[in-house]
Amino acid sequence: MDYNIIFKIAAIGILTAVVAQILKNIGKDEIATIATLAGVVVVLLMAVNMISELFETIKQLFLIY
Amino acid sequence: MEIFKIISIALLTCFLSIIIKNIKPEFHIPILLIGGTIILLMVIDQLKEIVNYILNIFSKTNLDYSMFISILKILGVGYLTEFASGICIDSGNTSIADKVLIAGKIIILCLSLPIITNLLDIIVSLL
Repeated sequence: MDYNIIFKIAAIGILTAVVAQILKNIGKDEIATIATLAGVVVVLLMAVNMISELFETIKQLFLIY
Repeated sequence: MEIFKIISIALLTCFLSIIIKNIKPEFHIPILLIGGTIILLMVIDQLKEIVNYILNIFSKTNLDYSMFISILKILGVGYLTEFASGICIDSGNTSIADKVLIAGKIIILCLSLPIITNLLDIIVSLL
């Protein structure tokens, strides 16, 4: 699990870039911005999951309640 | 050894974040965030062993380990503020990183008050 999350995020980043570029060329600019936003939201959700996992382990470890 | 994996992941994160920075600048921070989290999560197992080891020592010698608990809390706060300020510095806004550090220091100070009072009691009892 460790390092392939980083690859996933890089892949999502490149994918959204490509999709946004294609949508811009077709002429649908507003859908391109929405696609970029969707990519950013997905990546942020994954980041938030990792952060919450880190906080849980630190709470148990350092007895911070 | 664990350290090779950690170093490889760290370098991997750096390269990927540079690549992504040119393609899509928004994804620069999440990659750094997740890379740092992965490295911290890998090291936390050893830290757990250390903490359990020290707790065993304290429980064997039946000292009151309330002091050690607050030291653990201070360690945790320091651990997290270091993590957060690192991310803020990476993203470029050092002002927020300084504010996080100041807040962490204040929290650590107020966590260490019982230790100071305990120390003063011991000193007074010695006099």
